[in-house]
Amino acid sequence: MIHPNEYVDLDGCRLQLATLDTQERELVQELKARAESHPDWNDYSNFWMAKVGDFYKARGLTRKETIGTVPYRIGQDLCSRIGIKAGLVRPSDYRDELEGLIRTRFRTRREFCEATGLAEDMLSHVLAKRKHLAVDTLAEALAKIGYTLHIVPRTEV
Amino acid sequence: MSKNPLLECAFFIPIRRDANLSDGDLHSEKAWAWLKRELFLHFEGATVAPGFYEGFYKDPDTGEQVTDRSRMYIVAAPSSKVDELRTLLAKACIVFKQKCIYLSVSGDVEFSRGKQDDPP
Repeated sequence: MIHPNEYVDLDGCRLQLATLDTQERELVQELKARAESHPDWNDYSNFWMAKVGDFYKARGLTRKETIGTVPYRIGQDLCSRIGIKAGLVRPSDYRDELEGLIRTRFRTRREFCEATGLAEDMLSHVLAKRKHLAVDTLAEALAKIGYTLHIVPRTEV
Repeated sequence: MSKNPLLECAFFIPIRRDANLSDGDLHSEKAWAWLKRELFLHFEGATVAPGFYEGFYKDPDTGEQVTDRSRMYIVAAPSSKVDELRTLLAKACIVFKQKCIYLSVSGDVEFSRGKQDDPP
């Protein structure tokens, strides 16, 4: 169940709106209202980025700080939903999560494989959608690098 | 005239992965979010041009004609930041599973390439 003071993103993360101040809540409302008007994906992409960027620039936040804000995450999430609904974007699956993890935490796939104990060849097949990893194999590999699997409610696009 | 004029840099990101290099599938929302975040962090932003751009080219590996449909991004950057954009696009080749990405810097066209085996 979604509480009125929270926003659930495509990953099932619950973003707390109650922590936002009045102006930030208005910003979120503006992002949501525009998204509900069925905009073109490219238009919305330009719209939300400029809105959120200008808003936090005026407050003196760095760009790095801005991408961690709730309105940034909501703007990005709404934009993703518009792209998915338009059939131009694919919802992420566990392989995308895995690729993102490798991208942000490791210099090479080999380094990731050494840390997790997964075979490079197997990883290559999995990321190319030719094979799947068994859930227990994936869980064991992730545990070795301090990560775990979660089951979350499916979010409607 | 400004001491450090901005250059118009435009690049194309096909909306699908390269079918020869990968599976020809649509990109995930995470891939597009990554690009948005990187452009914001390094260039403060970018403009996505309206609509989509249809194109075709000869795949250097297969010799076959390939058609694609792309989004065009426009970034205004000083010349000192153009290399940073090239580096970002080399990473984008990996994230978006492309052999190369078309980049135009003030009308001069080049292709950014990434090494597919490693994460950006």
